[in-house]
Amino acid sequence: MSRYRITINKTLAVLLLVLLFSINNSAFAADGEALFKANCSNCHKPDADYTGPALKGWSSRVPSPDWVYKWVANPAQMIATDAYAKALFEQWKPTVMTAFSNLKKEEIDAILKYVDDYTPPAPATASASGAAGGASDDSMLYGILTLVLALVALILLQVNSNLRKLSDEKEGIYRSEPVPFYRNKTYLMAGILVLFIVGGYFTITGAIGLGRMKNYQPVQPIYYSHKIHAGINQISCLYCHGSAQDSKHAGIPSVNVCMNCHMAIKEYKGDPIVREDGSAVNGTEEIQKLYQYAGWNPDTKQYNADNNSDGIPDGAKPISWVKIHNLPDHVYFNHSQHIKVGKQQCQTCHGNIQEMPEVFQFAELSMGWCVNCHRESKVDFYNKETKEGNKFYSIYEKFHEDIKNHKLDSVTVEKIGGTECQKCHY
Amino acid sequence: MKKIATILILVLASTVVFISCDNKRQPGKVYMPDMAYSRSYETYAERDSSTFSMNIQERGGSKIFYNALPATGSIKRGEFMPYTLPNDSNGYKMSAMVPNPIQSMTEDEMKEAGRLFNINCAICHGEKAQGNGPISTSGKIGGIANLTLDMYVKMAEGTMFHSITYGKNNMGSYASQLSKKQRWMVVKYIRTLQPKAAVAVVADSTMKAK
Repeated sequence: MSRYRITINKTLAVLLLVLLFSINNSAFAADGEALFKANCSNCHKPDADYTGPALKGWSSRVPSPDWVYKWVANPAQMIATDAYAKALFEQWKPTVMTAFSNLKKEEIDAILKYVDDYTPPAPATASASGAAGGASDDSMLYGILTLVLALVALILLQVNSNLRKLSDEKEGIYRSEPVPFYRNKTYLMAGILVLFIVGGYFTITGAIGLGRMKNYQPVQPIYYSHKIHAGINQISCLYCHGSAQDSKHAGIPSVNVCMNCHMAIKEYKGDPIVREDGSAVNGTEEIQKLYQYAGWNPDTKQYNADNNSDGIPDGAKPISWVKIHNLPDHVYFNHSQHIKVGKQQCQTCHGNIQEMPEVFQFAELSMGWCVNCHRESKVDFYNKETKEGNKFYSIYEKFHEDIKNHKLDSVTVEKIGGTECQKCHY
Repeated sequence: MKKIATILILVLASTVVFISCDNKRQPGKVYMPDMAYSRSYETYAERDSSTFSMNIQERGGSKIFYNALPATGSIKRGEFMPYTLPNDSNGYKMSAMVPNPIQSMTEDEMKEAGRLFNINCAICHGEKAQGNGPISTSGKIGGIANLTLDMYVKMAEGTMFHSITYGKNNMGSYASQLSKKQRWMVVKYIRTLQPKAAVAVVADSTMKAK
């Protein structure tokens, strides 16, 4: 009996060991991936150059297997002492790798193993099958239908009059030759009236529209897509147009703001961009245009020297963007007043900018449009209990009292003088 | 009959005139140009290069020197004194000794600093400063710092200010987007996102747990 127990115990122990080992093994491999993602993936990719070199195939490049451990522990010291490290630094400068002295040898081994075993995930199968195929234009169909019906009606009218003529002749009634329709006074009058109404409508809308530039969409010097920047990449509007919160103007970002990201982003790799007329936009070429304007050399990663002492790199010049939203000179409009105090969203007046590849004027920017919003928008009074709202409006004591006494439930911009003439015209 | 014809022609002609102005690539016409367009120089208006010059060497010459910059040494109201350390390795080392002129911030100021951080920094560094903003996770820019790491917890506030002011590696300078005061406020805000006491131990154990 005891002999059996011993064998059972032994097998159990072996099984346990095997189990432990295998668990340990799988944990080890997973560890490599997790460690890589936690420590390295910010600058390295396994199979492609990034901020740092691609790590796959490291063993064929480094001078000795031990080199890696020393390098990871202290890159700065290695650059000073080791020839290969120095060459690496020259290739990837000015960025120096951060020291990871907290990584143990086994952990580095795990990372390197993960990197060597890495296979890129299969690219997602292209699913774009042209969704726009079935969307036929209904208005075309209706137009043709109307035309056909009108034709049928005309033919029937003709047939009717011919038949009547025939029956009249049979019965011996002679009528005078009918007046042709273009000399019939009723027809003429009706025609003139229709023309007057239609022409008048277009004239009036045209005259009102003169000086308003709704849908104005000029061609810009660089094909800059707000859809890619503000939509896909989720950059806040105020990142580039920061002066919208401090000044009258929303501000066009100076080129150095573009360069904050485009020092690193040299080419466009997203979905293909297509203009409205169907021609393709080469995103990388547009970024190259930016480098021209900035006086930046993407190869040496430096701005050109300023030899003509105008305070900007040689060859650099401001981008002459075309202003889209224009107000007449006799209107005062202040962005900070609306953004900072009124807490308005940019989209209220500019539309869904984050979905516009090319920006166009969304609102009509007419006085009626301004005044309408001032009549409808509610002011965000400061609430002492919830500590929410805007302290700016605390000067309107009368309204605060009225709200407290339930005479008012909210205050619009109009009530605090938002439709006074002098507010915008002075 | 003739009268009607003239009226008709007039209406048609004016319709054609008004409709023909409708091209979305052109700004269109206005009724009173002298009331619509400013006669004084507007923001971003191009200066006539035959009258104005941006070259400082030509100052006092036949042209008017104007580069749209405030006079040297002028300080905006409410702004801090100029930051004088140069943008080189020496300046970077010395920046560690520069103290943060902002000692403490009120709740409102902290909110404002957070808002500025979310607009200008979180796009790369992430809202929790863990280096995982939208630009970082989509792999567009590499080497984005996880500011909650030990080395950034230990980093002096002056060094952080220096890096924001001049840029570091792939990061550009934010001096044109954030005033000095705002930069110091953001630095203070980053401190609140970082793990505090027993920092090194906690960071280490989480790393192992992964």
